[in-house]
Amino acid sequence: MDANRFDLGGGEPIIILDDVAKSYWRETLEIPVLQGIDLEIPRGSYIALMGPSGSGKTTLLNLIAGIDRPTGGSLEVCGHHLNGLDDDELAAWRNLHVGFIFQNYNLVPVLNAFENVELPLLLTGAGRGERRDRVEEALALVNLTDRMFNYPRQLSGGQEQRVAIARAIVTNPDLLVADEPTGALDAKNAEEVLGLMERLNAELGKTIVMVTHDPKAAHHARHQIHLEKGVLDRTVEVNR
Amino acid sequence: MILGLLIVLPVVAYLAWLVWALVAYPIPLGYNLRSLWQRKVSSLSTAAAIALVVGIFVVVLSLAQGLSIAFVSSGRADQALVLRPNARFELNSSIERDRMRILKVHPLIKRDAEGFMASAEVVVVKLFPMADGTDTNVTVRGLERRGIGLRPQVRLVQGRWFRPGLSEVVVPRKMQGRFPGMDLGRHLRMGGRDWLIVGTFDAGGASYESEVWSDVNDIMQAFRRESYSALLVRLESPERLEGFAKAVEEDKRLKLEVVQETAYFKELTKAGDPIKVLGNLITLILTGAAIFAAMNTMYAAVAGRTKEIGTLRALGFRQREILASFQWESIFLCLTGGLLGSGLALFANGIQTGTTSFDTFADVSFAFTITPGLMAQGVAFSLVMGLLGGFLPAWRASRIPLTEAMKGG
Repeated sequence: MDANRFDLGGGEPIIILDDVAKSYWRETLEIPVLQGIDLEIPRGSYIALMGPSGSGKTTLLNLIAGIDRPTGGSLEVCGHHLNGLDDDELAAWRNLHVGFIFQNYNLVPVLNAFENVELPLLLTGAGRGERRDRVEEALALVNLTDRMFNYPRQLSGGQEQRVAIARAIVTNPDLLVADEPTGALDAKNAEEVLGLMERLNAELGKTIVMVTHDPKAAHHARHQIHLEKGVLDRTVEVNR
Repeated sequence: MILGLLIVLPVVAYLAWLVWALVAYPIPLGYNLRSLWQRKVSSLSTAAAIALVVGIFVVVLSLAQGLSIAFVSSGRADQALVLRPNARFELNSSIERDRMRILKVHPLIKRDAEGFMASAEVVVVKLFPMADGTDTNVTVRGLERRGIGLRPQVRLVQGRWFRPGLSEVVVPRKMQGRFPGMDLGRHLRMGGRDWLIVGTFDAGGASYESEVWSDVNDIMQAFRRESYSALLVRLESPERLEGFAKAVEEDKRLKLEVVQETAYFKELTKAGDPIKVLGNLITLILTGAAIFAAMNTMYAAVAGRTKEIGTLRALGFRQREILASFQWESIFLCLTGGLLGSGLALFANGIQTGTTSFDTFADVSFAFTITPGLMAQGVAFSLVMGLLGGFLPAWRASRIPLTEAMKGG
């Protein structure tokens, strides 16, 4: 193992980043965002990615989630080398292995809670009955069975985020990625959402990688990874 | 030909793929329909613009259809017109009385109990004032009583037929609305005489509904005509036409030309060509504007839903599924307009109108005829608009880089 690699220890890795780099180009000017990221995250971890604005934490999350592609190095997530996948394969991989939780929930406004949660299942080939069972199960888990047929505009921010969490887990993915999941919520709803994520990690064994700049939110994770100017700065184990 | 195939084949392949995508791809149609409804104002204004264009398109087609019905239903395959060589139309033709006497008893003309089934006729045009204050040329046909029987689609609906020597006329019922003073019992001033209107007739949409009829000798006297215009004859069967034509053309006493009645009226159908050209030009311009409107609406939809597109892509939906979804959204938008436009065009059905034939310089009266086929063409036309107007925005939606889309563009 590379001596510089950040290894969180504790079992089989679900995420392996090897010398990962990401740059953007503005005309002929190369703007490096991430450089030399070596990281192994074990299955079942709950990670908070932290750092100041522009440190590259969202870019790193996007790379791990197969939203973006690195300009250097290699990524292996959930047993797949992402560098070798084309766009369609990457889309299918995301559907199967990753659940997304966004800061602004990103629910489709013209679909009700049930239909929003059902969306990723439409790609799995599951039959109508199976889809209904799984959606109901996911909504029950986030305690929103009674709001199943409400549209996003009829839900509070906290409820919207819980619907988004139900959507993230409905395909039973190995990995959940969350980008500032409490950024748009008040303290009470934030605590509720963070508690739910903790349960998903502890009870269902989901690996969670969460970007946050909120120390309180980060405190719910088991490890904090700090980025500074595109490089891994340090990891901190959270004592809860 | 090759160029045509190069254009048509990809379009057909794309359409086939879209139909397949509708069944096979997982983005629910309800998502698109509800998204259209969510942007009610822009969706409905675009649909209204499409409806207007499709309505005009169907009405223009119905004009050509009405005109075609007027002429096609006028002729019979077992009847022929005898004209002066190269005259092309009755109005340009003349047949002297001596020749007509020989011609009317030609042995190849069909006979019944009343004798030879032939009608010597004269055609003149007369300027009449229309209801809108303008004047237009109307065909005045002088015919023998036999000529009425040779046109079975013509039936008297009011009054009685004209009698020879009394300066009487019958007028088409459908002309009464467009020309004032054509009511039963009133007089028409023609050729220095007053003509009493003794009856009105209906011709089932045939071109005779643009003509005023009277006795042939009365018309010839009043308009000082020494010769007839044409002879209408019925033959034993359509197959006898060739023999009759040969006999008449080769007879040195006659030297006249024979034209099958259906072919004659087909030639007259070209009277509608200027309307069609003008209509098509207007439709083309409006189509461009409607496609632009659809494109604009869809671009706005894509811009407003960039984050949504990013979310769908993040969840695993592929670029081609986004492309098909937005393309169908555009097609549905335009189809709504198409159905509305085709439905609105129905209001024009049966409205009587007229045009001036550039061959005879006389008014041709006909009705807008909206058929289910024309309405289907209108809907298909809107589908093409949806396809063209939606393609670029749908392509754009499917190609937004994922990271950019997730940030909201």
